[in-house]
Amino acid sequence: MGVATQKTATETQEQRIPRRRFLAWLSGVGLVGSTVIGAFSTFLFMRPRTTYGQPNRFSIGRPEEFPPGARSAIDPKRVCIVRDGNKVAAISTTCTHLGCIVGPSATGFQCPCHGSRFDVDGNVTGGPAPKPLAWFAVTLTPSGELEVDKDNEVQPGTYLSV
Amino acid sequence: MSKDRTSTLKSLADLPANVARSVFRNPLPSSDRGRAATSFTNFFLHVQPVRVSRQALRPSYTLGLGLISFFLFVILTATGVLLMFYYVPSTEQAYNRMLDLRSSVAFGVILRNMHRWAAHGMVACVFLHMCRVFFTGSYKPPREFNWVIGVCLFGLTLLSSFTGYLLPWDQLAFWAITVGTSIAGYAPFVGKVVKFILLGDATVGQEALLRFYVLHVVVLPLVLTIFVAVHFWRIRKDGGLAKAEPRSTPKPVAVHVELQEEQIPVPAMGSVAVAARRFTIQGLVRGPLIKVGMLEEDTVFSWPNLLIAELFVLMLTIAGVMLVSILFNAPLEQPVNVMHPPNPAKAPWYFLGLQEQVSYSAFWGGIGVPGIELLLLLLLPYIDRGKEGVGRWFARQRILANTIFLLFVIVNIGLIIIGTFFRGANWQFVSPF
Repeated sequence: MGVATQKTATETQEQRIPRRRFLAWLSGVGLVGSTVIGAFSTFLFMRPRTTYGQPNRFSIGRPEEFPPGARSAIDPKRVCIVRDGNKVAAISTTCTHLGCIVGPSATGFQCPCHGSRFDVDGNVTGGPAPKPLAWFAVTLTPSGELEVDKDNEVQPGTYLSV
Repeated sequence: MSKDRTSTLKSLADLPANVARSVFRNPLPSSDRGRAATSFTNFFLHVQPVRVSRQALRPSYTLGLGLISFFLFVILTATGVLLMFYYVPSTEQAYNRMLDLRSSVAFGVILRNMHRWAAHGMVACVFLHMCRVFFTGSYKPPREFNWVIGVCLFGLTLLSSFTGYLLPWDQLAFWAITVGTSIAGYAPFVGKVVKFILLGDATVGQEALLRFYVLHVVVLPLVLTIFVAVHFWRIRKDGGLAKAEPRSTPKPVAVHVELQEEQIPVPAMGSVAVAARRFTIQGLVRGPLIKVGMLEEDTVFSWPNLLIAELFVLMLTIAGVMLVSILFNAPLEQPVNVMHPPNPAKAPWYFLGLQEQVSYSAFWGGIGVPGIELLLLLLLPYIDRGKEGVGRWFARQRILANTIFLLFVIVNIGLIIIGTFFRGANWQFVSPF
C-alpha cells in the first residue's frame, strides 16, 4: 500500500516536469516566433506599397514640344528631357550626392548644394557626387505622349526614337 | 450630542494635518532614521539612495551634466506636449501653424524657443556627459552596460532632435532632412530601404512629415523614457556614481541604529492578549551598495544634500533655457520651396561634421567612419579592461585611452565647426571672418 502510493507520487512528478518544460519550450518558441513575425510584418507595414506623393510614372507631353537639341529640366518632376535629333531620353536631376536638384548648365549639370558637376550625359566631372545621374525609361503612349517611368532606371545612353 | 459635535469639530480642525500626514508619511526629518525613511517612503525620492558619496555631489566631478540632460528632457516633454495642441502635421498647415505661434498663441514664441533651444542643449549636454564619463573612467566594471545604454541614449537624442527638425516645414527643415536622409541612403544593402521607410516616399513630402511627427512625439520619447529609467536604475544598482578608490580601506563608522518597533493591531482572540512586536530592517541589500553598519566616511544623507543639489541644477537648467529663449528666437525661414534648395543646404549642426565627412567620400564619410566610431563606442568598456584610474578626471593611468578619446572629440567638433562656419555656397571653403 505504502509502496504503491510512493510509486504514484513519483509518477506524477515525472509527468509534471516534462509538461512544465514543454510549456516553457512552447512559450519560448511561440514568443520568439511572434517577435520575429511581428518585426517582419511591422517592416512590411512601414514600407508603403503605394505612395501618396507624385506618381513615379507620368506623361510629359508630345514629342513635338521638345525640339531637337533641347534640354529642358522639369523641376517639379525632377527630370531633364533631352532630345538629340530623333532620340529622346530622361535624365534625373536629383543629385546623387545628397538629393538636391541639379540645374542644366552649359557643360552639363551643376548642383547648387555641394558643387557636384556632371556632363551632358550625367557623368560626374567634379565635386563629391559618387555616381552619375540616373536615366529613366521613356515610352510613347498610344495617345502619342511621352511617358517617363522613374521606377525604371535604364542604362545611360538609352534613347527612345520618335 | 455635544460630545459628537466636539469630535466632529476636532476632526475638521485636524483635517489639513491628517491629509498632509497621509500624503507625506514622514514629518520633515530631524533624525538620521527620519532622513532615511524620507527616501524610502516617497515615491519620487525612493529612486535615490539613502546616502550618497560626497564625491558624487561635488560639482567639479560630475559638472551636473547627466542631470541637466534629464531636466532638459523634462522641459522638452512639457513644452512639446503644449506645442502639440496647436501643431498640425500637414504640409498645407504646418508652416502656417508656426506663424500662428508667433502671432496669435499666448506664449507661443517662448514655448517654441524653449523647445528648440532645449533640444540643441540636450544634444550638447548628452555628448558632454559622455565625455565626462569617459574622462573619469566611469564606464569600468560594473558599469559597462550602463555605458552602452548611455550610447543608445545619445543616439536616441540625436534621432529625436533630427525628427523634430522637419516639423516646422520651412526651407531649413526641408533641405536639412533631404540632406540628412540622403546620408542614411548611403548605408550598404539597407540604406535605400531605410531611407524609403523613413520618408514613406521617394522624396521628402507629406508622408515624411507624418512619419517624422509620429516618431518625434510618440515612438522616440517612449523608447527614450524607458532607456532613461534603466539608466537611472542601473546607477543605483551599480552602487551610485563611480568613485575613486579610497586611499585606505574605509573605516566602518558607528551609526546610531534604531530598531524600528511597530505596534500592530492584535485581534483580541479569547482572553490572552499577545504582545506582538514586529521589527523591520530597512536597507539590507547585497552588492556594492552601502550596507548598514558599514557606512563609508565620505557619504552623506541624500535628504537634504542630494535633493538640494538636484533642485539647484533644475533651477539653473530652467533659468538657462528661459534666458536663451528670451534672448534668441528659434529660426524660421521661408516656407518649403521644393524647387529652390538654399545654397549651401546644410543638415542640423550636430550632423554637419557628418556632412563635412560626406563631402570627401559619400560612403566612408557618411556610413563607414561613423559606423566604426559607433561600434567602438559601444564596445569600449569591453575593449578597455584596465581597472586603474576610476573616478578621477584625467587619471595618469588612463593617459592613452583619454588621449585617444580626446583626439576623437576634437576631430569631430573640428569637423562640425568647419561644416558650420567655413562652408559656403557649393560647399566651398569660406572664411567667416
